[in-house]
Amino acid sequence: RRDSSRNENKKHLVLLRDGRTLIGFLRSIDQFANLVLHQTVERIHVGKKYGDIPRGIFVVRGENVVLLGEIDLEKESDTPLQQVSIEEILEEQRVEQQTRLEAEKLKVQALKDREKEVQTEEVRGSQS
Amino acid sequence: MLPLNPIVVILHKEPQETKARRYQRILEEHLGLQSLVFEDISYESSLEDCPLDEDEDAFQGLGEEDEEIDQFNDDTFGSGAVDDDWQEAHERLAELEEKLPAAVNEQTGNGERDEMDLLGDHEENLAERLSKMVIENELEDPAIMTAVQTRPVLQPQPGSLNSSIWDGSEVLRRIRGPLLAQEMPAVSVLEYALPQRTPQAPEDDRDLSERALPRRSTSPVIGSPPVRAVPIGTPPKQMAVPSFNQQILCPKPVHVRPPMPPRYPAPYGERMSPNQLCSVPNSSLLGHPFPPSVPPVLSPLQRAQLLGGAQLQPGRMSPSQFARVPGFVGSPLAAAMNPKLLQGRVGQMLPPAPGFRAFFSAPPPATPPPPQQHPPGPGPHLQNLRSQAPMFRPDTTHLHPQHRRLLHQRQQQNRNQHRNLNGAGDRGSHRSSHHDHLRKDPYANLMLQREKDWVSKIQMMQLQSTDPYLDDFYYQNYFEKLEKLSAAEEVQGDGPKKERTKLITPQVAKLEHTYKPVQFEGSLGKLTVSSVNNPRKMIDAVVTSRSEDDETKEKQVRDKRRKTLVIIEKTYSLLLDVEDYERRYLLSLEEERPALMEERKHKICSMYDNLRGKLPGQERPSDDHFVQIMCIRKGKRMVARILPFLSTEQAADILMTTARSLPFLIKKDAQDEVLPCLLSPFSLLVYHLPSVTVTSLLQQLMNLPQSAAAPAPSNPHLTAVLQNKFGLSLLLVVLSRGEDLQSSDPAAESTQNNQWTEVMFTATQELLRIPQAALAKPLSIPTNLVSLFSRYVDRQKLNLLETKLQLVQGIR
Repeated sequence: RRDSSRNENKKHLVLLRDGRTLIGFLRSIDQFANLVLHQTVERIHVGKKYGDIPRGIFVVRGENVVLLGEIDLEKESDTPLQQVSIEEILEEQRVEQQTRLEAEKLKVQALKDREKEVQTEEVRGSQS
Repeated sequence: MLPLNPIVVILHKEPQETKARRYQRILEEHLGLQSLVFEDISYESSLEDCPLDEDEDAFQGLGEEDEEIDQFNDDTFGSGAVDDDWQEAHERLAELEEKLPAAVNEQTGNGERDEMDLLGDHEENLAERLSKMVIENELEDPAIMTAVQTRPVLQPQPGSLNSSIWDGSEVLRRIRGPLLAQEMPAVSVLEYALPQRTPQAPEDDRDLSERALPRRSTSPVIGSPPVRAVPIGTPPKQMAVPSFNQQILCPKPVHVRPPMPPRYPAPYGERMSPNQLCSVPNSSLLGHPFPPSVPPVLSPLQRAQLLGGAQLQPGRMSPSQFARVPGFVGSPLAAAMNPKLLQGRVGQMLPPAPGFRAFFSAPPPATPPPPQQHPPGPGPHLQNLRSQAPMFRPDTTHLHPQHRRLLHQRQQQNRNQHRNLNGAGDRGSHRSSHHDHLRKDPYANLMLQREKDWVSKIQMMQLQSTDPYLDDFYYQNYFEKLEKLSAAEEVQGDGPKKERTKLITPQVAKLEHTYKPVQFEGSLGKLTVSSVNNPRKMIDAVVTSRSEDDETKEKQVRDKRRKTLVIIEKTYSLLLDVEDYERRYLLSLEEERPALMEERKHKICSMYDNLRGKLPGQERPSDDHFVQIMCIRKGKRMVARILPFLSTEQAADILMTTARSLPFLIKKDAQDEVLPCLLSPFSLLVYHLPSVTVTSLLQQLMNLPQSAAAPAPSNPHLTAVLQNKFGLSLLLVVLSRGEDLQSSDPAAESTQNNQWTEVMFTATQELLRIPQAALAKPLSIPTNLVSLFSRYVDRQKLNLLETKLQLVQGIR
């Protein structure tokens, strides 16, 4: 943790609570983990592909930060992931989100059914 | 003497002249200021002529309204009531931004002049007068005087674009002199932004109000946490603590202001929150196994006391202390607090003995940086700091030794990597390439080193804890496991290479903080002041137990379930405590151990009582309570964990109850499928049971009729048991135990033997009857079952049983 403050001006990767991944130069940090990122790029990952959206300067409120890590510039290019255009990655993301929503719906329904089961059983159980 | 300015008024009514009051008076006398605004002001009379023309208009208007309206409202009447023209402010700021880089590189004198030009003539006069005034009043020590004059020049930033807010305030700081030692950066920005006439007011306000009561209406004395003029998040303007370099090893003290020491111990106490005050010295003690106690958290009262104690040096009443400790003047208190709170290094450092050198000279034997010498003045001392090796090791002593090892390994790897990359291991070239990189990057180093250190310091402070096992349980356990693993591996090797380091946790001893509410003198009775430490009851919530008869059945069910849940939670807490006793044992002293034992026993008993639902007057508690607990998943897991702690009889009782109601439990467990977790503790128990118990247990399990009457055509109890994984496994375990007993002790009592034989006969009959398809797959099959059955059945049936229960390994 202390070393993070000596790593200014190296590229950092920040994961936010809403799932976004930001990559940029960490210019400032404080005790709440509020961050100032410079030349930030939002990277969207879907499967093995990713796309970068340049965002400029980011000031992130500390409570939204999940984790922050330094990027090894040499290893940065050494990745199996494939970079694609922004439009493409956004499309992929949309598709992925849709499938996830549908799965959620099914789960919620199943849980509701279970809940009803348990409730009726309890009443029956107490009566027996 | 200039006429007393009417707006400047009494801070608060004190019998003797307060320091703040004195200052106020002096200011009035010398400068004829009319804009000093303090807390609890009562605007006395109307405005009169004042030498500063520009201010007159503004404040006249204000003054006339003052008497009618609430005078305590700062926002309306004080500095907040400033006409904030943002455009003007922006222009001024922009102007400043351009001028700052130039100012930064100049000498102190020039810098001063520049700054003053920016802010107008008033500022110049004011600044000069203020600095003169302050110096003459406060700084008696010749050493301090010399220090004040030798101010280091700010190091030019790597790029002029780097002028950040912090830079500007730095420069401003230099002009203001020691007076502004306590200003915070946020204030400086405001100074520039405010229109010309009022900047003086807020500045001075804040300067002096730092020493006087804080701006808000609650004073720290009354028990609420000390209030800061600026939000807690802002880093200090000056280098906070250059000496605490175990963690904050700063090789570049250029930002440190020598005038800081003159404030000793005031700046130290003022700049850092009381928490930091206590904790930072403590953090320097992290290198030691059991550092003397400096609690990281104090109640605000103690903080106030600490500040007062720390600052009550003979003959060194700086106004800063005064603000915080109006009620605690008195060296007896300081003496009392000092040994108690300032033990260890802090105590050595802030002794009644005059020596801020001690303050700086905290040499921790455990850590590498060279101990700072006792310099004659702060200047040379700072140069000492500067000459420290740039290579510093972070303080990792609070980490688990394994963790530390891993970190160092990683560091080594990185260093090696870098060396390899740069060839011939020249760090110089590495550094130069690094600098090149920085030079090209104009936005680099927006954060000053001291700011980074400050943030790190805060983060480190958060790691301190009085009880690491409590605060950081998983971390500790994880590394313990790692260590055990490596130790286990090493045992097979040549022998332990790394000595098994016993974990020495940097514990901060807990101090009892008994909060005593403040008592006002002269008041009749006790006034209750509500604060963070003494919260007032807002809602009077009374629990009313329902006794209506017309409750619906569902509600009753729900209530019962809730009660069970509560019991489970309570028992779980007991369980966690009991599990923790072993560790506490190791840490406790000899005398305490019997008491711990007693406590543990007591807790175990209460756990058992909770489980069985002990009701006085009933010789045998009903099973219902226990069954209810077992219906809940958490309850089952809890029982599994509790079993090892119970005595054999108690545990046997639990087991019997379970066996009795097993079909019901099986039914309830259909969704959770948690019962198998009980198998292991039950098996362990069974292998300790005597044969009588085993026999009755078997009977219970199979729900066999006591007498040898004709068996019922179907045995739903047994069927249920056999169809369940847990049930079948348990049954097999019991059978196995019985066999063990039989084979090991053939000359056992005949009655027992007979009973057992009878039971076995009926058992085997039942087993033969059950179709194989209905059987569950047991978790484990004991090996001696074949020999067991061979006693009671003939060959044919034995084979049948074997195949049915899959007793022979090959079939599986």
